[in-house]
Amino acid sequence: MKTETFSQINKVIHEKGRMAIMSTLAANPEMSFKELKESLGMTDGNVSVHIRTLQQAGYVIVSKTFVNNRPHTSYRMTDQGLQAFNEYIDLLEEIVRLNRDNQ
Amino acid sequence: MGQADFTYDFRSMNLLQQDPSQLLDNSDFVSQSILAMDADWAAQRLGEIRTLMERSSLYRRALAPTATLTGIIGMAAGVIGWTLPVKTSSGFCLYWMVTGILSLLVSILMIRRQAWKDNERFWSPPTRRFIQAICPALFAGACLGVIGTLHPQVSESYLWNLPALWMMFYGCALFSAGFFMPRGIKLFGSIYVLCGCISMFHFTTEALNQTLPRIVHAHIVMGSSFGILHFFYGVYLYLTDHH
Repeated sequence: MKTETFSQINKVIHEKGRMAIMSTLAANPEMSFKELKESLGMTDGNVSVHIRTLQQAGYVIVSKTFVNNRPHTSYRMTDQGLQAFNEYIDLLEEIVRLNRDNQ
Repeated sequence: MGQADFTYDFRSMNLLQQDPSQLLDNSDFVSQSILAMDADWAAQRLGEIRTLMERSSLYRRALAPTATLTGIIGMAAGVIGWTLPVKTSSGFCLYWMVTGILSLLVSILMIRRQAWKDNERFWSPPTRRFIQAICPALFAGACLGVIGTLHPQVSESYLWNLPALWMMFYGCALFSAGFFMPRGIKLFGSIYVLCGCISMFHFTTEALNQTLPRIVHAHIVMGSSFGILHFFYGVYLYLTDHH
């Protein structure tokens, strides 16, 4: 593993709330705002703020539609987001592996 | 896990500016301790991610035993239906609908048990979405079975097309569920649709040539398609579970 990659942990995903959202979206191709909120036990504000950051980073796509005349917001992880999430996990695994080799 | 865990900056670690392969050679006691500390933190974080993904998805850990058991039920039902033999049209439809309901109940019980064991909700948003996705196609398939059960006078070609249509509907149900579930469910559904199409083509040709086999052999088609495919999918899930 290259030193540059090792030292550059993804700060966007690294935050606990955003990591939880990314983990959930990695396991579910699409989730609504309500489902995401219920699954993670987060407040409306928390979900909105973290989703905005993930959206700005290009990791999440937000779709707004109407279901039964009510606004329905759903979220999906982008390919870029999936790649970043996989790299984040690879980095964590590398840290664990490196420590194991050292012991 | 404390707040400090999430604000840790790897760039502040001098040892990480080095080539990791040389880390052990150059490290002293302090750097090794830092690395061990971060390995603990990284392992914890990986555990959190795994838990979150498993909780939010549809009890993936229960998928392998469920698929395997469904496969065994399907194969057993195929052999039993063939040897008994269940050979009337309404008997055939009823027999396979009961088998389907039995498999479904066993699957629900296993998934519920897994959820209970993991201290998680069974009726979670992913479960709801999964049920919503499979319902239309399964309902359509069930209607075909009910028609065959209630009308014993349906033609032989209708009965021979039933396994093919059931495969197609079941494949469509799985494909829809695949939008909410990872691990090859879409591909599994597609295989069913393909098998259904091939069966339909084959048995329609046989019907036109008036060379259809006896209805009792349809149990073998059902047992091998629903039984063997599920069984191998379950084995595949077991083998790839560590991923």
